[in-house]
Amino acid sequence: MMTTLAQSGFPEAMSSLTLFHYLFISAVMFTLGLIGFVTRRNLIVMFLCTEMMFQASGIALIAFSRFYLEYTGQVFVIFVLTVAAAEAAMALALVVLLFRRHETLDGSVWSLLKG
Amino acid sequence: MTSISPTLASMADTALHVGSAPAWVLAIPLLPMLAVVLNTFSAIFRVKTKLPAWITIACLAGSFLATAFAFMTLSGQTNVATGWKWFDLSWGAGQGQQFIADFGFYIDNLTLLWMLFVTGLATLIAVYASEYMEHDVGKGYTRFFVAFGLFVFSMTCLVMGDNMLMLYLGWEGVGLCSYLLIGYFYKKPAAVAAAKKAFIVNRIGDLGLAIGVMLTFVHFGTLEYAQLFQSEQLAGYIAAVLEGRAGDVPLMAQLIAVFLMIGAFGKSAQFPLYVWLPDAMEGPTPVSALIHAATMVTAGVYLIARMLPVFLLSEWALPVVAWVGTFTALLAATIGMAQFDIKRIMAYSTVSQLGYMFAGIAMLSSVGGVYHVVTHAFFKALLFLCCGAVMHGFAGQLDLRKLSGLWHMKGWRVVSVGMLVGCLNLAGVPFTAGFFSKDMIIAEAFVTPGYGYSLLGWTLLFTAGLTAYYTFRVFFRVFTGPVQYEPGDEHHGEDDHSHDHAQDDAHGHDGHSHEDHAHGHDHFHPHPPRFAINFVLATLSVLAVLAAGLYFVSPEKHGWVGDMLEESTAHNLYTADHSAAAMFLIDGDAHAAHDTHADAAHGEHAAHGSILGFNPHEVMYYISAIFGLTGIGLAAYLHGPRGMVSGFLGNRVEAGKCRMDAVAKAFDPIPRWAENKWYVDEFYHFLFVRPLWVVSYIFQTIDKLLVDGLVNLFGYLPRLLGRGAQPGQSGVLHGYALSMAGGVGVILFIVVLVTL
Amino acid sequence: MSASRGAASVEAVISPIVLYSMIALGAVGVLLALPRAKANFALPGFLIGAVAGGVVLLVLGAKAVDMDGARGLPNLYFYVFGFVALAASLRVITHPKPVYSALYFILTILATCGLFLILSAEFMAFALVIIYAGAILITYLFVIMLATQAPTEELSENQAPFDRVAREPVMATVAGFLLLAVLSTLMARGVPTLTVRPVVKGDQILTELPLRIERALREQHMLTGEGGILPTETLARGVNDDGSPGAYLVDPIDRTAVVRVDADGGATRVVAWPEDLTLGNVEGVGYELIKAQPGAIEIAGVILLMAMLGAVVLARKQMQIDEDAKRVQAEGLAAGGEGASS
Repeated sequence: MMTTLAQSGFPEAMSSLTLFHYLFISAVMFTLGLIGFVTRRNLIVMFLCTEMMFQASGIALIAFSRFYLEYTGQVFVIFVLTVAAAEAAMALALVVLLFRRHETLDGSVWSLLKG
Repeated sequence: MTSISPTLASMADTALHVGSAPAWVLAIPLLPMLAVVLNTFSAIFRVKTKLPAWITIACLAGSFLATAFAFMTLSGQTNVATGWKWFDLSWGAGQGQQFIADFGFYIDNLTLLWMLFVTGLATLIAVYASEYMEHDVGKGYTRFFVAFGLFVFSMTCLVMGDNMLMLYLGWEGVGLCSYLLIGYFYKKPAAVAAAKKAFIVNRIGDLGLAIGVMLTFVHFGTLEYAQLFQSEQLAGYIAAVLEGRAGDVPLMAQLIAVFLMIGAFGKSAQFPLYVWLPDAMEGPTPVSALIHAATMVTAGVYLIARMLPVFLLSEWALPVVAWVGTFTALLAATIGMAQFDIKRIMAYSTVSQLGYMFAGIAMLSSVGGVYHVVTHAFFKALLFLCCGAVMHGFAGQLDLRKLSGLWHMKGWRVVSVGMLVGCLNLAGVPFTAGFFSKDMIIAEAFVTPGYGYSLLGWTLLFTAGLTAYYTFRVFFRVFTGPVQYEPGDEHHGEDDHSHDHAQDDAHGHDGHSHEDHAHGHDHFHPHPPRFAINFVLATLSVLAVLAAGLYFVSPEKHGWVGDMLEESTAHNLYTADHSAAAMFLIDGDAHAAHDTHADAAHGEHAAHGSILGFNPHEVMYYISAIFGLTGIGLAAYLHGPRGMVSGFLGNRVEAGKCRMDAVAKAFDPIPRWAENKWYVDEFYHFLFVRPLWVVSYIFQTIDKLLVDGLVNLFGYLPRLLGRGAQPGQSGVLHGYALSMAGGVGVILFIVVLVTL
Repeated sequence: MSASRGAASVEAVISPIVLYSMIALGAVGVLLALPRAKANFALPGFLIGAVAGGVVLLVLGAKAVDMDGARGLPNLYFYVFGFVALAASLRVITHPKPVYSALYFILTILATCGLFLILSAEFMAFALVIIYAGAILITYLFVIMLATQAPTEELSENQAPFDRVAREPVMATVAGFLLLAVLSTLMARGVPTLTVRPVVKGDQILTELPLRIERALREQHMLTGEGGILPTETLARGVNDDGSPGAYLVDPIDRTAVVRVDADGGATRVVAWPEDLTLGNVEGVGYELIKAQPGAIEIAGVILLMAMLGAVVLARKQMQIDEDAKRVQAEGLAAGGEGASS
C-alpha cells in the first residue's frame, strides 16, 4: 500500500471521475474558507480562512497536475505558497498594528470606508 | 464745373507719389515703446525714485525730435516706412483675396502735423507729471509712466499706421491706456466706475470702427492707405459724386463712412456717446490734459480727416457729423455753464470744442477743423494743467465756490497767467489762436451749402458766447477776488503740511463747512507748484499764444495748417469752388440746392453762402468777437469780484457768493437741470442700462433654473443613486467579502443557466 | 458547448438531485456548526455536514466503479485524508478560540499534504509541511499570543465576544454554498470532457538529463555488477552537420542508451536503462521550474523580498503608532470622563 502512496513519477493516467473527487474536496474546502472569512470577526481567524482557500486552490492545482501528467500545476502551487507566505507576513504585521491601535481583534471595528 | 477736375487731379496726383521713408522714422513709435519696456523693468526692480519719469521724458523727447526732423525733411511728401510684415495672407489672386497689413507707417503732412503736437505735448506733460505724480513715487509712479508711454506708442500707431488695421490697433491701444489711466486711482470707486464707463461706451464706437474697417476691406480689397487712396475704384466713385451721379456709388461704400463715423463719435466723445469723457476726469490731471483733451479724443477728427475721400462718398455721413458736432457743442456748453467742478467744466468744454472740430471738418473745412485741433490741443492742455496745479496745491479742491483769489497768492502767478492765456484762447478773444481757428469753422458753416448749415452757424456762434461765459466764470471765480480757499479731501503722501489734517478734512465737509473752513485755514497751507509744473505751464502758454501765428503763415492757403493739409488725404476742398462741395453734399439735387442758395445769397459770390448779407470770411471776425466779448462781460458781471471796473461789472466779495446765485434762483429748475447734465446719464440709465438689467435678470433666472437646473440634475442623479447604494458601503471587511463571493456565485450561476 | 451535452455531463458524473440536496444539507450542517451566542449546535452540525459530504462521495464512488471499475475509484487514503482535511477545516471556522483554529488548520494542512502525496506531488507535500505548518502557522500562533487580551478570571470562556458569535451566518452560508453548488455543476460538466495526453512525460524528460541516465547506469554496474556501463565506457553522442558533438544517443521509448566502448575507438554497444530508473518528483518539479518557467521563480523571489521590506516598514511604523495611541489615550484621560473607563 505504501508503494502506491509514495509513487514516483506519474505511473499511470487518472480517471476523470477520480479527478472530480479531488476537485469536489477542493471546492468544499474553499467554500468553508469563504464562509469562515465572512462569518468570523477575529482578524487572525479571517486570515487563517484565506490561507485555507489557498490550500483548496492548491489541491485543485495538484490534482490537475496529476491528471495531465504535467509539473506546471505544482509550479503554480509554489507560487501560491510564496504569495501565502508573503501575505501572512504582511497581514500579521498589520494585525499587530491594528491591535495596538484599538486593543481589539474585531475586524468590524475597522469601518473607515463606511459610506 | 471746370474747377472740379483740378481737385480730382490733385487728389489723384498726391496719391501717386508714394515713396519709402527712411528707417529712422520708426524711432517715433519705437522710442515710447522703449520707455514702456524700460519702465517695466523699473517696476520689476521696484524703483523707488523718479527714474521712470526721466526715462519717459527722455524717450518722448527723442520721439519728438525724430518727428521734428521728419517734419523738416519729409514734409510735403507721402512716404511709407515698413517695420515688418504683420499680416500677409492670400487665398487667391483676385481682388480682395489678399490681406496685407504691415507694421508700417504712412508719413504724410497730416500724420506729421498730428505727431508734432502729440509727441511735443506728451513730452511736456510727462515733465509736468513727473512733479504732479510725485506723491505716488515708488507706488503707482512706474505704473503711471508705463501706461503713459504705452499711450504715446498707441497714438503713434493710430496716427502713423499705414493701414487701417494699424489704426485699429492704435485705436484700441489708446482706449486701453485711457481705461488704465482713468482707473489709475483704483481704490477710488468713482475712478473705477469712470474707467469702466469710458471703456464700455468706447466699445460701442469701436464696434462701428471695426465694422467700418471690415467693410473697407470687403469693398475695396485693401486696408493700406497707399493702395486705397490710389485705387481706381475710389477715384471712380469720387468722379461719380463730382458729376452728380452719387446714386452710382454702391450702398456698401456709403455705409463705410457711416460706420467710421460711429467710431469717431465714440472716441471723440460726440453725442450720444459723449457721456464717458466728463467722468474720465477721475484720472490724474496730466492724463486728462494729454489723453482726454489734447490727443486721444482728436482721433475721431483724425479718422475723418484721413478717410475724407471715403466720407465724401456718403450722402449722409458728413451732414450728420456736422449736425451732431454742433448739437454736441451746444449741449456740452450748456452743461459746462452750470458745473462747479473746474476740471469737469474743462471736460465739458472739451466735448464742446470737439463738436466744433467735427462740425468744421464735416462742413468741408478740414483746415478749420484740424487747425482747431492743434490750437485746442495747446490751450486745453494748458487749462487742464492749470486746473491740475490748483488741485495739486489745494489737496484735491476743485469746487469753484470754495476757491478764490489765486492771482493774489504767492507762488500762483504762473498758474494764473497760464489760466488766463488758456481762457482767452478758449473764449475766442480776438487775436488768439482759438479765435482764428473757431472763426474758420463758423465762417465755413455760412459758406458751405448744406442742410440748414446756416442755422448750425448761428448755433455755433451762440455756443461761442456760452463758451466765453463759462470759461471766464471759472477764471473770475477762482483766480480773482478775495483770497479764500478750503482744502479738498485728498492728501498727498509727501505733503507734510496737510498730511495730518487730511483725515480731519475728510470728515463731514459738507455738514459744518464753516467750522471746517476755519479749521482748514488754520492748518492747511496750499503748496504752489514748483519748477517742473511752472516750466511746463509757461512753455505751453507761450506755445498757445504763438499758435495764433500759424494763421498768418502762407495766408493764401488759409494758414500753415492749410499748407500742411494740401498734400494729404484730408486735402481740403476749401480752395475749390464751393459749388463742387455742394454737389458732394446734395447729390441728386445739387443744382436745385445750388439755385436756392444762389437765390438766398446777397453776396457777389453766387456759390458762396453769406451771413447777414456779408461775406462770412470777412465779417466773421467781428461777429464772433462780439459774441465772445459779450460772454466774458456777462461772466464778469455775474461772477467778477468787487472793484472790477469800479464795481460795475462784478460785486463778488466772498468765494461762494455772487450775482449768479440770484439769477439761478430766478430761472430755478433750468440751472439745476444743467448742473445735473440734463439728466442724460439718468436717461441712458433708464433707456439702456435698466432694460439691459431686466433682460440680464431674466437670462440669469433662465440660466439658474434651466441650465443650472439641468446641470444640477445630472449631478444630483448619481448622488441619488449613490444614496441608494450607500448602505452597501458598510466599511466592514466582511460585507465586501460577502458581496464579492455572492457576486462570483451569481455570475457563475448565470453562466450555468446560459450554458444549460 | 451545446446545451444538451452540458446538461448530460452532470448526469455523467453524479446525480444532480443527490448533489444539490446534499449541498443544501451540508449548508444546514455548517450553519448549525457555526458559533452562536446562546445554544451550541456544533456537534449536530458537524455530523450533518459529514453525512452530506459522505453521501456525495459514496454516490460519486458508486458511479466511478460503475463506469471505470476499480480504476475509477481514488486511492483509499483519499477518503481518510479528505475526511480529516474537511473536518479540520470545518473546525477551523467554527471553533471560538483562535488558537484552536490555528491548530486545526495545521491538521488541515497535514491532511492536504497526504492528498498531495497520493497525487504524486511529494515535493509540494513536504514543502507545505515545512513552510505552512512549520513557519507560517507558528507565526500565526505567535501573533495570536501577542494580540490577545489577557484572560480574565471571571469569564468561563475567555473569548472575546467577537469570537463567540458568528457574523451574518445565514447570508454567508447561503452565498458560500450557492457558490459551491455552481462550482460543482461547472466542474461536473467539464471534467468528463477532459482527455489525458498519451505521452509518458517522465521518460521523455529523462532524455534531457543524459548524465542522470549515465549515473544510474554506472551505479547499476557498481552495485549489481551486471548491466550498466563500465568505468572506461562513456555515453555516445551523435555528430552534428558541422562536425561538433551532438545530442546523447538515448532512446526513451525502448529505454536504451548507446555506449562508446573505448575512448578513441569507434566501437559502440547498446545498454538498457535500469528498471528502477524513473524521474523523481523533485527532479520533475525542479526541471519544470528551471527549464520551462525560469522567470517565475525570479518573480516569486521578488514577491518575498517585497513582503520582507513591507514587514520591515510596518515594524518601523509600529513604534510611531504606538506613540500615537499613547498620546490619544493621554488626551482622553486628560479630557476626563470616558477616558478613564476605557
